[in-house]
Amino acid sequence: MSSVLRILLRRLGISVIVLIGVSMLIFAIARIIPGDPARIALGPNATAEQVVMIRTEMHLDEPIVAQYGHFVADVLRGDLGTSLYTNRPVTTDIAEFLPATLELVIFAGILMVGFGLPLGILAARHRGRWPDHVVRVLTLLTVSAPSFVWAVILMLLFAFYLPLFPVAGRLDSAYDITRVTGFLTVDTLIAGNFGAFLDALHHLVLPAVALALSGIGQAARLTRANMVETYDKPYIEMAEAYGFFPSRIARRYAFKPSLIPSLTIIGLDFAAMLGNAFLVEAVFAWPGLSRYGVAVILRKDLNAIMGTVLIIALTFLVVNIIVDLLIAFLNTRIRHSTRGAT
Amino acid sequence: MTNRHLLAGAALAAATALTSPAFAQSVLRLDEVAVGELDPAKASDYADSILMFNVYDTLVLPKQGEPGHDPHLAESWEVDGATYTFTLRDDVSFQSGNPLRAEDVVYSLERMQTLGQGLSHLFGGVTAEAVDERTVRFELEEPYAPFVASLIRLPIVDKALVEENATEDDPWGEAFLSGTGAGTGAYTVTSHNPQDETVMAVNDGYFLDINEAAPDEVRLRYSLEAATVRTLLAQGEHDIASQWLPPEVIRALAEDGAQLFTESGTGAFYIKMNTARAPLDDVNCRQALAHAFDYDTALRMVAITDEVSSGSASTGAIPVGMFGANPAEEVLTRDLDAAREYLADCPTPPEDWNLEISWIAEVPLEERFALLMQANFAELGISSTIETLPWALFTERVASPENTPHISQIFVNAVTGDPDTLLYGMYHSSTPGTWQSPEYLDDADVDAALEAGRRGPGEAEREAAYSDLNDRLMELAPTIYGYDRQSVFAASNRVNAPALSDPDMAFGVDGMGFSFRLMEMTE
Repeated sequence: MSSVLRILLRRLGISVIVLIGVSMLIFAIARIIPGDPARIALGPNATAEQVVMIRTEMHLDEPIVAQYGHFVADVLRGDLGTSLYTNRPVTTDIAEFLPATLELVIFAGILMVGFGLPLGILAARHRGRWPDHVVRVLTLLTVSAPSFVWAVILMLLFAFYLPLFPVAGRLDSAYDITRVTGFLTVDTLIAGNFGAFLDALHHLVLPAVALALSGIGQAARLTRANMVETYDKPYIEMAEAYGFFPSRIARRYAFKPSLIPSLTIIGLDFAAMLGNAFLVEAVFAWPGLSRYGVAVILRKDLNAIMGTVLIIALTFLVVNIIVDLLIAFLNTRIRHSTRGAT
Repeated sequence: MTNRHLLAGAALAAATALTSPAFAQSVLRLDEVAVGELDPAKASDYADSILMFNVYDTLVLPKQGEPGHDPHLAESWEVDGATYTFTLRDDVSFQSGNPLRAEDVVYSLERMQTLGQGLSHLFGGVTAEAVDERTVRFELEEPYAPFVASLIRLPIVDKALVEENATEDDPWGEAFLSGTGAGTGAYTVTSHNPQDETVMAVNDGYFLDINEAAPDEVRLRYSLEAATVRTLLAQGEHDIASQWLPPEVIRALAEDGAQLFTESGTGAFYIKMNTARAPLDDVNCRQALAHAFDYDTALRMVAITDEVSSGSASTGAIPVGMFGANPAEEVLTRDLDAAREYLADCPTPPEDWNLEISWIAEVPLEERFALLMQANFAELGISSTIETLPWALFTERVASPENTPHISQIFVNAVTGDPDTLLYGMYHSSTPGTWQSPEYLDDADVDAALEAGRRGPGEAEREAAYSDLNDRLMELAPTIYGYDRQSVFAASNRVNAPALSDPDMAFGVDGMGFSFRLMEMTE
């Protein structure tokens, strides 16, 4: 068995345990949030008898362990129950809203890597000089303000004062695109509608930039810090003594070893964006899963809370596994240490 | 953001503009905070009402600009004691093409009663029978004078269509009606995404004339942030903002040229005192607070412009314009001397008070009123603590008098436009412990007046009963009557809405001003 496969299997095993733990924790927490879900479901004018009836239907009159048992049995059948917020199966809601969030987060992730790493390399290569100072100031600015502040600032600048970008939604209502993947940038291309594709991209720009700015700053600063440390290593001095081009030294000898710690943090940032997307989704009326998650928590919609948290936890774990595999691929010492441990 | 990004943005914007298809139809875009409930049997709040009044029809409609009701799906009706017999129009079809029949009315009532949600409590003790295809008879367990008014909350659904889509597990077609419409209304549901919007299109087969300039398509958006709405309106991508925008945002929109629509006369802002907990179990203590409250400042806090406000001066328990309301000029004012006199007769000395003033977490405006009260009451030497309660927790807390805060702040509307639906649930001793009745009032005179108001039989008797009720409530002071509420909507100049701008065209029922068939798109 290859070492990468061994890492994958071990991570999958740990992930299953984590998912079970998360489900138990969230199941308990969701029941501690103030408010009676049965009463919320029926509305403020419901009679006491109606509340009792729905409590029985939802198993809320049973001990919490028995409730958890019902939940696990339903999940194993692929049934996450019905959302009180939307009156639809939670699986339908997740299938509809998750692609919107994933599309936003993936686009933001591309921006984070595409701008963050080059900026970090640029700053490290020119450490102590003006490009370094500019990058450090800019990235400090992006890191110090949360995404929703950037969302409002970007909206004011590029939608209100300079109406360059749309404010809300994912696609102009004039386009009628058949949903295939739920990713509108993909579905528009499948439909062969290039105008709609551009429109979908146009809608993505502001929310994705708002979501990515903090990550861009973090990735750049981290890459710079790691590369500056690497530049002090003797083998870099030797490469310089041999007269290698600075760009080759930066790319081949300084960047690659610096990438591993950066990659871990970028992976975590990427997964964290799933949760942080809520405020950006709220500002740009982006119909995604993060916004849905907050709405269902406020309404104590137990089924939807469980479904949303489990999906976000699952995505978090998948991203972590991918990052672990990438690191193992890049760093031979990890591969060898794994082999040695087993 | 660099020049390169700006250029890229501009290029993308230009490319998109060049490839965007042109709108062939007039589109009205508006928003609401809560997700609209499409199932008419579960409709209760504002967004639900907007959907219900456009996708479905009712047997009667409130007269515009005056009291009373006109026939709508009904051609006429007769009243004989507790029996109401309605004759249906013969030219009405559902959006499915099925003709409207008496059995649809019976089915709609039974569906609502069985599901027991929304405003189904209005129809407790009512039975219906289809006498023939066009005649339906309602029997009431006891006389209920506002029954005809309550029928504006009984939307008629297409029985045949719902039954086609019902299942063994879902015999009343709840799943079907939560995602689409099955009514006779002037607009059909094209799509419904609870996270995003409900899209409606005009129903060309509607049985009444629809304004030629009425929107061809309506997009009701959900849960937009205030900053988003403001930007959308500025970009010309939105037409009517919800009433829940902060006053300063509505003011800014008005300064930018937006017009302001209003809807009033059906509700008020009530500051409710728990009469079952000391020290507010004593009328003098309550009167002290009611006289110490600064009504003028409260009104200034909700003013939008010099001419338009989200509130008008309160005259008592019943908003001006309803049966039994005091004259508009008899406004409530602050009287600290009177407050001190009442406080002197209060058995609990002010230094022993520690009032819990609650506000609903989802309504930030209430925090400002909580701070106002804290300052007002401090002038009497009364200390207080402010408590934030999410709505879900609030409805749970008010279920028992000992857990109910001393002071709760609630906006209440008459869902049928009749004072019965505003006051009975608040003050009758048989309905304590709901979000409407954290006062826990138990007074025989109040109960008698509320029952007389229900019984009627005539308008004069009802008006006298509510006038007596108003007087009695002012004596008992279970509530501080903050102000009469007026909903204010910032709107673009592309839309005319006579029912929201001309008092002679107003329906007097929350949400009905948004009857899209009566609106006009000017662009």
